[in-house]
Amino acid sequence: MSLHTQHNQLIGIAALLFLILSLVIAVLPAFEAERTPPLSGIEQLSDEAKRGRVLYLEEGCGYCHTQFVRDLPVDKPYGRGSVPGDYALEVPPLLGTQRTGPDLANVGVRQPSEIWNLIHLYNPRAVVGTSVMPSYPWFFDTKAAADEGDIVVPVPEAFKPDGQAVIAKQEAMDIVRYLQSLKQAEVE
Amino acid sequence: MSQSDQAHSTRAGLEVGTKRLVFAYIVSATAWLVVGTAYGLIAAIKLYWPEAMEYSVLSFGRTRPIHTNVVLLGWSSMALMGVALYVISRSSKTSLYRPGFARAGLILWNICMVLTVITLSVGLTRGPQEYREILTPIMVLYAIGLLCNFYTAYQTIARRKVPEVYVSNWYIMGAFCWLATIVVIGYLPFYQNGMGNIVIQGYFMHNAVGMWFTPMVLGITYYALPRMLGKPIYSYALGVLAFWTAILFYTLIGAHHFIFSPVAWWIQTTAILFSVGMMVPVWAGFGNFFLTARGSWSRVRRDYAIIFLLVGVWGYALSSTQGTIEAFRSANIYWHFTNFTVGHSHLAMYGFVAFCIWGFVYGLIPKITGRGPSQAAIGFHFWLAFLGGSLYVVSISIAGILQGTSWVAGESFIASVDAAAPMWLWRSIGGFMMVFSHIVFLVNLWAMRPLPVPPASEMVEATA
Repeated sequence: MSLHTQHNQLIGIAALLFLILSLVIAVLPAFEAERTPPLSGIEQLSDEAKRGRVLYLEEGCGYCHTQFVRDLPVDKPYGRGSVPGDYALEVPPLLGTQRTGPDLANVGVRQPSEIWNLIHLYNPRAVVGTSVMPSYPWFFDTKAAADEGDIVVPVPEAFKPDGQAVIAKQEAMDIVRYLQSLKQAEVE
Repeated sequence: MSQSDQAHSTRAGLEVGTKRLVFAYIVSATAWLVVGTAYGLIAAIKLYWPEAMEYSVLSFGRTRPIHTNVVLLGWSSMALMGVALYVISRSSKTSLYRPGFARAGLILWNICMVLTVITLSVGLTRGPQEYREILTPIMVLYAIGLLCNFYTAYQTIARRKVPEVYVSNWYIMGAFCWLATIVVIGYLPFYQNGMGNIVIQGYFMHNAVGMWFTPMVLGITYYALPRMLGKPIYSYALGVLAFWTAILFYTLIGAHHFIFSPVAWWIQTTAILFSVGMMVPVWAGFGNFFLTARGSWSRVRRDYAIIFLLVGVWGYALSSTQGTIEAFRSANIYWHFTNFTVGHSHLAMYGFVAFCIWGFVYGLIPKITGRGPSQAAIGFHFWLAFLGGSLYVVSISIAGILQGTSWVAGESFIASVDAAAPMWLWRSIGGFMMVFSHIVFLVNLWAMRPLPVPPASEMVEATA
């Protein structure tokens, strides 16, 4: 008897071998890793920040921005090296694989300004001249005059429609609240 | 399929229904290729012209996952499943068993593709987890389509008219089983938070490529290359060795996408070590194909189908070796997070997988339909795709090296964007040539379409 003539045994062994290796390298370590407790300093997200995180997922921000700092000199500008406890509460965690834009793991500390973030979201080139980040004008209203209670974004004249006021919608505020919430907690 | 269809086989021994089914798979795949790479081109253009096409459904964060999912599932997977049906039937010397299942799989996958494009366009996503963005219910439908295909494939092989299971079918059957396992493990809801998710993510993104596309392409190559060259494979045993070592080494290396991450250190180190071990199946496979083609250069020179396939075989060796080098911690510091990874993935999915598929289609389909495009038309496709793809991979890899160098030098982040920007323009030009070549391929494919069923009188003649 040979595997070359027994299709069912051949495929059975190939499938079983793969399954066993998958359990050893992925499934069991995943169950183990999932039990890591969160760092005690991590604060719960506000409702605004929670909605902002959903928008962050929907807009695909994570394709260009990591939230994953390696413990290497090259990553020093972004904060301390990431630890498992940083991610314990996140579904899904947003480590990422590409940095077309900078890492955001600790951006709430590095760039806390609400106004800067709103202008940047409306048109990144208004604050960083050669940025290639997309603009998100659909998170803003433009109108001739702001009403009471509107959040007027002080966009430089060259970057906004003539004579119009740029007003942040709730979505823009949610994203900014989420970005402001990104602060690395103390490792105990 | 009707009885009369089955009774009348062509000179290549495939029934009319199977021919049509195989062709329908390849036409669907090619349509998705054009759609998927058009999305890729839009995303590429936006990196040096961010104000272009400023609509939420076409923003970079939406188009990028649409591009990857459409070319992976719609193009590569559908094309490979179609060609695999051909190879299974021919190498088992029997007609497809209950091809209606494979046909249902095709219809289901096309529906899924439409749903995928719509959902990802409006931001319905599981988040930026590469190739796991698609919502669970849609992925369940994909899995059902996959199993439909596997049913036809497996039952056909089980009813083969030859004693041995040809090595192509080892790879093809294996790939179906492995992908089904990967999808189940990737989508089970148990470990979706925190680092558990990341351990699975590394496993999923890596194995979806390495244990699905790679074995499908290699398996088909073990059939197609000898057939197109008119000589046997150099070493059957080497093909068997590569099969088992691929399972052993390949499965364990997904974590090399998360080097220096909080993933357990032993998993990362295992991934790096086995990335080196992966060179065994890679060079066994490449060497086998290369030695098969040796001595046939006069034939290779005159046939663009074989040239496509051999360029693809080289793409396999180069992209896999590059992947191993990228896994080393020292190289990872410079290359990880940069566009170098994008160059690597395109060398693999384009230079290897797509070029091999084109070799299969140009080399095998005219054999069953009795007609095909001219060598000049195939050559036009080849040079557009080859030059465009090369320009793409070289420019985006340079962009990656410039980014990495800038970061290591400690410059401000925007300096790395400025450094890469000219390369993004070149990348788009390469991308444009690639998309154009796919339209040429669509035209060439039409020249290979099966003729309508011949009238009954002709059929009798053919059978006699």
